[in-house]
Amino acid sequence: MRPLEGVRILDLTWVLAGGGGPRLLDALGAEAIRIEWRDRLDSLRLAAPFVGPEPDKSKPRGPNDPPPNINRSGIFNDINSGKRAISLNMSQPKGREVFKRLVAVSDVVVDSFTSETMRNWGLGYEVLKSIKPDIIYLQQSGWGYKGIYSGFGSYGPVAQAISGLTEQSGLPTPYPPAGWGYSYMDWSGAYYCAIMMLLAIYYKKRTGKGQYIDGSQLEPSIYLTGTAVLDYSVNRRHWQRSGNRAIARPAAPHGAYRCAGEDRWIAIAVTSEEEWNALVREMGNPQWAADPRFGTMAARVANQDELDRLVGEWTINQEPFALQERLQHAGVPAGVCQTAEDRVERDPQLRHLNWLIPLAHREIGTWPIKNVPFHFSNAQVDQGGPLRRASPCYGEDNDYVYGELLGMTAAEQAELRKEGII
Amino acid sequence: MAEAFLSDVKVLELGDEKGEFCGKLFAGAGADVIKVEPPGGASSRLNGPFYHDQPDPDRSLYFWHYNVGKRGITLDIHAAQAKALLEKLIADSDVLIDSLPLDTMAGLGLDWTALQRINPRLIYLVLTPFGRSGPWRDYKATDLIYLALGGPMMCCGYDPKPDGSYDTPPIAPQMWHAYHIACNQAFIAAIGALIGRQTHGNGEMIDVPIHQAVAVSTEVDVPIWIYSHKPVFRQTGRHAVQRITPQAQFQTRDGRYSMLLLGITPRETAALIDFLTAKGFGNELHEKFKDPASRRGPEFSACLNRALAQCMGAFGVEEIWREAAGKRISWAAIRLPEENLTDEHWRMRQTFARVEHPELGETFDYVGAPTLAEACPWRTGPRAPLRGEHNQEIYRTKLGLDQQQIEQLHRDGII
Repeated sequence: MRPLEGVRILDLTWVLAGGGGPRLLDALGAEAIRIEWRDRLDSLRLAAPFVGPEPDKSKPRGPNDPPPNINRSGIFNDINSGKRAISLNMSQPKGREVFKRLVAVSDVVVDSFTSETMRNWGLGYEVLKSIKPDIIYLQQSGWGYKGIYSGFGSYGPVAQAISGLTEQSGLPTPYPPAGWGYSYMDWSGAYYCAIMMLLAIYYKKRTGKGQYIDGSQLEPSIYLTGTAVLDYSVNRRHWQRSGNRAIARPAAPHGAYRCAGEDRWIAIAVTSEEEWNALVREMGNPQWAADPRFGTMAARVANQDELDRLVGEWTINQEPFALQERLQHAGVPAGVCQTAEDRVERDPQLRHLNWLIPLAHREIGTWPIKNVPFHFSNAQVDQGGPLRRASPCYGEDNDYVYGELLGMTAAEQAELRKEGII
Repeated sequence: MAEAFLSDVKVLELGDEKGEFCGKLFAGAGADVIKVEPPGGASSRLNGPFYHDQPDPDRSLYFWHYNVGKRGITLDIHAAQAKALLEKLIADSDVLIDSLPLDTMAGLGLDWTALQRINPRLIYLVLTPFGRSGPWRDYKATDLIYLALGGPMMCCGYDPKPDGSYDTPPIAPQMWHAYHIACNQAFIAAIGALIGRQTHGNGEMIDVPIHQAVAVSTEVDVPIWIYSHKPVFRQTGRHAVQRITPQAQFQTRDGRYSMLLLGITPRETAALIDFLTAKGFGNELHEKFKDPASRRGPEFSACLNRALAQCMGAFGVEEIWREAAGKRISWAAIRLPEENLTDEHWRMRQTFARVEHPELGETFDYVGAPTLAEACPWRTGPRAPLRGEHNQEIYRTKLGLDQQQIEQLHRDGII
């Protein structure tokens, strides 16, 4: 049994920062129904890499057909794994009436539109609540609805820039911030989207009460800036970048060191005398290591530039994974800066943990999908969700949702199709 | 006062900095979190920065930040007399967060089977470095090592040289993100298990390997490898992808930086060109690339880059991003975290909170809520516990020990 069995989510989210939230609840057993419309598709459906032919938006199509090849994006497949999907034209009043019928049989409505969209459609919280008194409505927008920036859009890099996460990453001035080489706040935004839905579901099961939550991508981003705000508030100290160096406790060497091969690096973090002694032994007790400049942790921290240079001279001709194994065996925290290829093709620990699971997709077949990293002892929890499948094709679950859930007759559905509603 | 999401949930937290952020999330959602520390205090109390830069276990800002809202007791869990006390605490908890060294609980005779006997409704949440088994099970790691092995570092850093080689290392974004990433997902799993328990009444054990949690949290690098077997290349302030993309970060007049996310939609590109033109920096763009279909390729990128560099260089970091964002252009100031404290938007949303420190007679600004839930407000405070601050309250009131017994435990170095 999955812990969220019986919970139904109407998923009006986009891309990852929104879409990743319902994905996690699917893994826990909920039924998330993606609501999509062919004229305004989630950009991930059109994002490379594709399996087979690429989507072609310019190709002429019949008035009731979606663009060709929109079910073939690998990234969409990963992010929407386990979900159901229906086609529904929310921009038409009749489409919104169908949506209201779905609200009546659901527990959660979640969207990641900019802040006014649902209200403009006459689907604000008060309306949803009048249809289903205990409904949970999470509006997961960029900046949040309340406040002076509610109309602004956001993507991961914007959230990271404003919150301070970008400025916190990188080598010291005069280098510019390095920021994040991916949208950290897409998955992290999705985590908070999931967290808020789960907290509200727990609360509703306990009290019978639903609620409206004004979520955002920006606030979780601020929440993840660590101790910097407090350091300013208490000590009036402004944040300063220090590359890969240790910031909370003296630790040196502490950084990424070049190895043999093209752009190969190993991270080493020496946090104690014991680990330093072990590293020195592994390095073959070089003469420089006995120099008083490196005699204590405080001395090593004070002379880090030189220390990094010398350690780097030792690592540069070594095969990174053999070095990692050797240092770990000696008790020195060390790990290769792994690429996606390393993780997918060779990381024996991730393989042992079944971090990728094969899941089937109706059009593109079976592919490895990133599993959730939590291992339950009793409940069945994995990214296939109750359907045991990868992402849905456009409109794949229309029959189930309109027929089984809403009890529409075939004639009724055909009529809606003809009118361009489903 | 409005009720909190988890006001009926009791959490016991054992372990070190790996699990502290998860306990903080529970406290924020309104759970009663008791943190159990060794008699001298948790090791994270030695983490800086410190109040007025004076190292002191009760004045670590790191400890304050990650333990706000919790109560704290001391207990040497390895002492023989401790076991009965620990069992009583576990019997009275809904969730046990364990980030102790691997096998510690089993060594105390408190493995999952034993825990279930003590409390069949317990949600036992274990944060392990690499999992409870497997070839890397006993690897040693820190935040830096997790970010290396899990993939974030190889996505983050600076542009390669024109010949494609790198003269800068991969970068680990600072501030304990491996623990943030793992604890966010651990919290999700734990609330899921609590919801399952509302239905069937049974406990659950959940293992969250930090390495796996980090490895699944990068964005496009893994799907790109799986579906096209191509590597990605790290680049300054923008996504690591298969090719080198145009610059996205520019220096502002005051020597700071602003960013612009390029190429999201043709509508955004058009809005950007109009905006740059209105500011007096877009004439060349406007003339050469009137046709939206022509807005692609290296020539367009170079022209856009020149205009952006000039425009951003003409204004201070806070001066014009709002105006651009108001036109739905993904333009943003690259702020220092603390610069958000004075922003009206966050003030209206109460994103930051003032937390009182009665022991110092002072009040400080903390990062408060990750979201605005007015029906069930997020809690920030009271401030993190001093060492053993709640020993009396918990050992006496909750566990029923008398003063003499508590003093004896103290003398024996158990608490």
